[in-house]
Amino acid sequence: MSASKNRATNSLLRSEKKSLYRFLALYVAMVIFGITLLSAFYYESQKKLALSNYRVMMAQYAYIQTKRLKVLHHFFPDRREYPRDPRFTSAIYDIEFHKIFSLNRVESIRFDEEIYLTNGYVHFIKGLDTYYLGTRYLVIEVQDDAKWEVAIWKDIALYGTIAFVLFLLFGLYLAKLFLKPMRDSIMLLDRFIKDTTHELNTPLSAILANIEMMDTDVMVEKNRKKLERINIAAKTVSTLYKDLTFLTLEQEKKNEDEHLDVKEIVLDRVEYFDILARSKQVTFSLALDDATLYMDRRKFTRIIDNLISNAIKYNKRKGAIKITLEPNRLIIEDSGIGIDEEKIPLMFDRYLRFNSSEGGFGIGLSIVKKIVDEYGISIDVTSQKEVGTKMEIRWEND
Amino acid sequence: MGKRLRGVLVTIVFLNGVSLWGESENIFERNCVPCHQELPTSLGEMFKSYLLVYSSEKFVKAGIKHYLRHPFKSLSVMSDLFIDTYGIKKPTHLTPKELDEAIDIYWEKFKVFDKLK
Repeated sequence: MSASKNRATNSLLRSEKKSLYRFLALYVAMVIFGITLLSAFYYESQKKLALSNYRVMMAQYAYIQTKRLKVLHHFFPDRREYPRDPRFTSAIYDIEFHKIFSLNRVESIRFDEEIYLTNGYVHFIKGLDTYYLGTRYLVIEVQDDAKWEVAIWKDIALYGTIAFVLFLLFGLYLAKLFLKPMRDSIMLLDRFIKDTTHELNTPLSAILANIEMMDTDVMVEKNRKKLERINIAAKTVSTLYKDLTFLTLEQEKKNEDEHLDVKEIVLDRVEYFDILARSKQVTFSLALDDATLYMDRRKFTRIIDNLISNAIKYNKRKGAIKITLEPNRLIIEDSGIGIDEEKIPLMFDRYLRFNSSEGGFGIGLSIVKKIVDEYGISIDVTSQKEVGTKMEIRWEND
Repeated sequence: MGKRLRGVLVTIVFLNGVSLWGESENIFERNCVPCHQELPTSLGEMFKSYLLVYSSEKFVKAGIKHYLRHPFKSLSVMSDLFIDTYGIKKPTHLTPKELDEAIDIYWEKFKVFDKLK
């Protein structure tokens, strides 16, 4: 068994991501609005250009038709056939916009415009100074081939996409600038912890070594209890120290992956935390099958330690912890305070703690998340307020 | 007695004939056509001259009506040469109602609407 490595760890905090997404959504909406507006202006200007091309042609047609109307006027009513032309159709209207005669396919006319597009046809309206046959308005109609429109849409699609991509890149750069102050403050905290951690090593090692060396058999009961409490406190600090060391120093170390006997490690860590659990009268119940996992021992230990110490820390007095190990999954359930369902997605964020009554920096689960992401291990959390929390990690077999 | 009866019958037949003659010609034909028959430009051509200037039914009718009541050279749609040759008509003696009726008949007779194909 081994877990495939997934280096795409989520380096951004969820809150950072939320801010980033909000900013990007707003930015993208603004960019789309801007591009749409520009496209609309471009479309209108190109449409005007296309119409001005039509205007040149249609003004000539109108001139020709006017001459024909003049002739018809002269010979009316002996000649009554309205002049026709294969290149265009036309209609004539009197000064009160009443139709005198029409060959046009589109009958609705906008007399307040000189040239316009309507239902795939172009209308050109010429006002006559001499009203042949009473004609005040001559309306020339030609079919629009819409080639200009296809060209405009092509331009808009091409340049719009280029502009969108460029603006998006610029937006990402802006977002980075936008997040910098937040990132700087987190880095400052990281650096502070790194410096502090370094100073903890020597005294903590001395305390733990000396506790181990003490002969408890010759101690009086009262002193043994005091020593036990010192031991619990030292182990709590030790777990925190290891987390901080991992976070600041060890995670950059090269992994030393090996086939781990998961059952053995779980038993070892349960024994280690037993004294801490007993102090809260929390009992373990274990159902462990044999299981192996190919990964770095230190990192797997950090996962187990954090899950077990959280199960103890956020448990009730006289509570229980149930640990189930199967060939490809490990479940740690506690009978603790639980958390709200909507807060579950946030619990892996660094420096986030849901219960300020308990100590800690809120880094334990962010370490767990970082490691499981790195190894492609899935982690599922189910929790119910005042009932307990169930953490399940699952890895794939080869 | 027989003479008198014959005289009454002749009178009735004559009056009927007069009234029949009156019905066959409308106010336009009675009052406009006779004078214009003497002119070289037909009423149809004059109508087209009105169309050239006034365009629509409402404006053409108003133009004719105004000219017939106040015939001035400056208001005429005819050429100066025509006016100088044939002169200006006298103001109409028709009542406004009769004038409107005559003009309506004139419009219907020569209008372009529904005549083109």
